[in-house]
Amino acid sequence: MTYEVVIGLEVHVELLTESKLFCSCPNRFVPEPNVNTCPVCLGFPGALPQMNMHAVQKALTASLALNCDIALHSYFDRKNYFYPDMPKGYQISQYFEPIGRKGFLTVEDDQGRPKIVRIGRVHMEEDAGKLVHAPGGNTSMVDYNRAGVPLIEIVTEPDLRSPGESRRYLEQLKRILQYARVSDCKMEEGSLRCDANISLRPAGREAFGSKTELKNMNSFKAVEKSLEHEIKRQGIILHRGDEVISQTLRWEESKQETIVMRGKLEAHDYRCFTDPELAPIELTSGEIEEARAALPEMAEARAARFKDDYGLPGYDAEVLTGSRCLADYFEACLAYYNNPKAVSNWVMGELTAQLNIADLEVDQCSFQPEDMSDLLKMIDENLISGKIAKDVLEKSFKSGKPPRKIVEEEGLLQISEQSELEGIIEKVIGDNPDSIEKYRSGKTKVIGFLVGQVMKETKGKANPQLVNELLVKKINS
Amino acid sequence: MELRKLSINQVAEAVCHGEITARRLIEETLKNCSVLNEGLNIFACISGIDALEQADAVDRKVANGTSLPLAGVPVAVKDDICYGVLPTGLGSAAFKEFPSPYTATALERLMNAGAIIIGKTNLDDMSLGSTTASSPDGPTANPWDVERTAGSAGAAAVVTGICMLAIDSDSGGALRQGASHCGVIGLRPTMGRISRYGLTTYSSSFGQVGITAISGENIIHALEIVSGFDKRDASTAICKERLGGKSDFTKVKGIKIGYPAAIFDYLDSSQRDILDQAREEFATKGFEIVELELALLPEALQAYYVIALAEASSNHSRFDGIRFGTAEDAGDLEELYRKTRSRTFGREARRRSIFGTLLLSKGNYDFYYRQALKIWKLVRQEFANTLAKCDLLMLPAVKTLPRLVTEETDFLQAWEDDLFCAPVSLSGLPSICLPAGQAGKLPVGLQLVGRPFSEELLALVGDQVIREIKLFPHGIS
Repeated sequence: MTYEVVIGLEVHVELLTESKLFCSCPNRFVPEPNVNTCPVCLGFPGALPQMNMHAVQKALTASLALNCDIALHSYFDRKNYFYPDMPKGYQISQYFEPIGRKGFLTVEDDQGRPKIVRIGRVHMEEDAGKLVHAPGGNTSMVDYNRAGVPLIEIVTEPDLRSPGESRRYLEQLKRILQYARVSDCKMEEGSLRCDANISLRPAGREAFGSKTELKNMNSFKAVEKSLEHEIKRQGIILHRGDEVISQTLRWEESKQETIVMRGKLEAHDYRCFTDPELAPIELTSGEIEEARAALPEMAEARAARFKDDYGLPGYDAEVLTGSRCLADYFEACLAYYNNPKAVSNWVMGELTAQLNIADLEVDQCSFQPEDMSDLLKMIDENLISGKIAKDVLEKSFKSGKPPRKIVEEEGLLQISEQSELEGIIEKVIGDNPDSIEKYRSGKTKVIGFLVGQVMKETKGKANPQLVNELLVKKINS
Repeated sequence: MELRKLSINQVAEAVCHGEITARRLIEETLKNCSVLNEGLNIFACISGIDALEQADAVDRKVANGTSLPLAGVPVAVKDDICYGVLPTGLGSAAFKEFPSPYTATALERLMNAGAIIIGKTNLDDMSLGSTTASSPDGPTANPWDVERTAGSAGAAAVVTGICMLAIDSDSGGALRQGASHCGVIGLRPTMGRISRYGLTTYSSSFGQVGITAISGENIIHALEIVSGFDKRDASTAICKERLGGKSDFTKVKGIKIGYPAAIFDYLDSSQRDILDQAREEFATKGFEIVELELALLPEALQAYYVIALAEASSNHSRFDGIRFGTAEDAGDLEELYRKTRSRTFGREARRRSIFGTLLLSKGNYDFYYRQALKIWKLVRQEFANTLAKCDLLMLPAVKTLPRLVTEETDFLQAWEDDLFCAPVSLSGLPSICLPAGQAGKLPVGLQLVGRPFSEELLALVGDQVIREIKLFPHGIS
């Protein structure tokens, strides 16, 4: 029997706000524990939550960017359960009435065709603290810096049909939320977290099979891997004629396998009720339209603009707009150096290569748009060759030194003085009589080899065009 | 000059004009307190050193020419309201030494106005009750009959003249019933008029900060200082919509008093006679008495308990021994919760947490909690309709005379005592409890309920109709 895979994703993202959801503590990562805390986010008796309207604004923006219907009237509920990272013994979350419902996203399916993935709900909630287990001992500590950080949870309908599709959904979601400046969506840092629900059903059947929930995936790749693993595991069970147990599984990255975290999905009764300490969120249709109009330019629109305004090929435009920060970087370079195709080549080529090696996002590296522009200007001014420029970029990327300073300090300025080159050219001609003979007999391609020899002698600093010119002149004279 | 017969305004003026120092006043207060407290068990915690430091600070400010509207006025504060200097005991054995990291807004405002906090007053188990009988420190005795409970220790502190003001909490009626049992005036303000930041309430929907004093004038004087918008309590936003948060009424003439005759049938004849006389006195003084109906009190009482119990189970979840209170030694998390919570809560608190948990559970939520919310809405509507036919509504305050200290009351019977107060809490309206007369040596109060923000009118009417307040002999003189 063949089985169809049914996947639904629950994604939590941290909102980019100055302060926490219900108090004025900074929403910022700090290594020192329990410093970004106050009586409110520590759940001290008598402290009351205060609504952060900026967080509401971000959640509204996200819901609009994900094509959701917006609730004019939504509110917060308490999800009651005990855990040490939960200061109040309940989490404040939009359980009954989320801010956004019935949205969708378009992703490519495995055949490369566009496919609609429905988003059931987008709701706001507060984050919990973090448990820190002391190594070796039997002591656990709690850090409440993260407690009360604003989150939105984005829940898809069970519309995804493969691990690859799921990964593409996450990539697209991340791109949109980054473009909308809702979240920085860094999965490795926990500002985007993903749980997956997965089940298998006989192809053609409508009823869902029993599902499992996967947790603890720390990258998009891990989501894909864990889903692949779980499909195999459930497939084996079903082929055996057994039933899949509905439970929560934890992805173990080091072992590339899942382990059971807890049984029965429906075991918890959170006793949700509307939080009596928070007023409902009332939005007017005017406010919603205002937020819609203020939505930032999304990837597709930006790619189109890159093609039209900067004359970039479609491929370049798509790669550059693949993440908001890369597109921002590209446009920042243009402010200093207006040659879009040259900037595009260098951003997509050398810079991206360095970023991949260092495993960084472009907004995390010290090689600034000013540096990129200056580097390209030096090539145009014949101060350095393209080859030297690549080395300079790498050095600047690693050291943080401005490229011009590296060129000066390391004496990398291109030799463009005829007098400096003449001696070397004569030496190369003298050393390679065979090549000169070939050239004279009409095999002019050999000039490339001779230019190379001069470059070698000058450690790449000679201006290759000038060398070419001088060589031809010398041989022909 | 008998100080306690002066208004707090007069006392503040005497201090500001240098007729008496705040230090001298507070020394007298503390002397009185040490004589009276031992027999009555009014205070959970007194700090003479702190009170005298506050007094000296007030004297210094006054000497510098600062005019303070409450200079030197001694205040008692219920021990469920956070004051950063003294421990906040919450009515729990585990919180005897709990240093609250902050001070409630109402107390901050009183102290800025020159009032002096003498100590924290006794209260029921986790503030759950209207008698003080379940206090871990034992009940507060009624000054008029030490065999009986005072209802509210703050009222006892005021009627004995130890303090001129008591800042109390009131959810189902503790403040108002205490005022009735001790023979003083107690105000529960409109929801949102006094900031609740720092009130460690078990019921977020109904818990309120109120004021107890010996005259309506004193209450209004204090109310002006403690009330108003506070960004730390969202419910106070309503004060910004009202003209400076003040009442529109200033004159008593032409005021209609609603009298729901059937309600008084719940009382025994001795109490009923007292309230009948009070009603006649209203008529004699020129108030118009309007007979009307108020049908929903029994249902309102039930709805109050369903909602308040549900909220208590959630609000009390934060007492897990991890961030505050005294944590018990335990081998694992489960044991830590069990031991710590067993020590934190007395019988009443445990009962309410368990009931509340049950009421919110799957299968019960719709039948109890959702129904209670519906009743709540109807009750608000009924009170609003009633107060469209009259300016003030007259109700009993207590169902029985204060209970004997030794009496083992069935908990349901004790909850029934809130029949006249809890429904008013549901309405969100302001109400005041005034001394109406005496049954034997015990005072009996009556309740007046007004429209939102009619506290000034309530106090004014109160001062017009109450006979001379009988003060317990031994006050400051």
